[in-house]
Amino acid sequence: MTMVIKTTMAAVVGLLASTALAQTALAQTASAQTSSARPDFTGSWERYPQPGEKADPRFAPSAIPDPALKPEPMEKYRANQAKLARRLAESQPAGDNYVKCLPDGMPAMMMGMFPMEIFQRPEQINITQEAFNQTRRVYMGETLPKWDEVDPSFYGRSVGRWEGDTLVIETTGIKQNVEFRWTPHSEAMKITERIHLLAPDYLQDEITIEDEFLERPWTYTYSFHRMPGYKLLEYVCEDNREYVDENGNHTLRLGQ
Amino acid sequence: MFVRLATGVALLGALAVVPASPALAHHSFAMFDHSRTIVLHGKVTSYQFTNPHCYLEVDVTEGGAPKHYTLEMTSPNMMSRIGWTSRTIKAGDMVGVVVAPLRDGRAGGLALEVTLPSGKKMEPGVPNVQDFKRSQ
Repeated sequence: MTMVIKTTMAAVVGLLASTALAQTALAQTASAQTSSARPDFTGSWERYPQPGEKADPRFAPSAIPDPALKPEPMEKYRANQAKLARRLAESQPAGDNYVKCLPDGMPAMMMGMFPMEIFQRPEQINITQEAFNQTRRVYMGETLPKWDEVDPSFYGRSVGRWEGDTLVIETTGIKQNVEFRWTPHSEAMKITERIHLLAPDYLQDEITIEDEFLERPWTYTYSFHRMPGYKLLEYVCEDNREYVDENGNHTLRLGQ
Repeated sequence: MFVRLATGVALLGALAVVPASPALAHHSFAMFDHSRTIVLHGKVTSYQFTNPHCYLEVDVTEGGAPKHYTLEMTSPNMMSRIGWTSRTIKAGDMVGVVVAPLRDGRAGGLALEVTLPSGKKMEPGVPNVQDFKRSQ
């Protein structure tokens, strides 16, 4: 009799346990389904629209407004823009990073000079820009460190999370000399990107820059179009023959 | 009303100034003369398929005297996407090149169009090439 009860109880416990296991398994499956239902950005993309291409308004990016800088950095920004305008009027280039064989860094890299590739894994997303082989690494589910806990760099530290179908990336730790459109910023600058699909083959990146140099956040978007089957080429700045001489003139080193 | 406003805003967005094209962000090609072109015929001494720019080195004869020209092209990445390879031209090839010359008068320029030994013409994909006035 006792034995029967014990056996029955063991069976019930076993059943309960297996039910719990099944429920856990079910929950895991559901969770796996949720994560597999995330949009997959993996693949090659190019800026949309391309030069000379007319944008479909549904997928067009925003214009990039001027940054609302505080008075002191605004003074520097205006001086930079005036210098830029003068140089352009003199038919000289801006003397930007590329002329010095330097990569864009963030956030300028997302302008997509050449095609870019996204490599998506649940725990990490890499974004590579073909120009200068630039790669950013986004660590999913990690906490964004304070700006002064990381060494300033071209791409900074990036962490990501999903908000529904939108990939939210936060970045900090950008070097002060890594500027977008000659805009001064502090080392504490934070970049928040919201990346989502507008259509299966159209991606949009809404970039918001927050910084103590700004009166209010600076927001703009870029759109990208899928390039099925495109394999990124390498880019090594191997022989830079263009340079800006001591008089500020853009010139070319001649070969033999 | 709201719908009309929203549509208006969307249209404004679509009409708003589109940021400078990404390819232009590289170099302005400002050191090359946009107002005239020269045409060179000569022997290739080297065709360099490198970033940030490819270079074509050409020996020509001007007024009976030998002269060497250094011609800049765009990047291998841009050129690859429009049909060029590292083997499209080789040293020793006789080529014709439409060139936007250097403003500073030295023997160099930007290659706008190349005629290969086969007679095939290829452009290296200079952004806004229509802005270079062809005088030859």
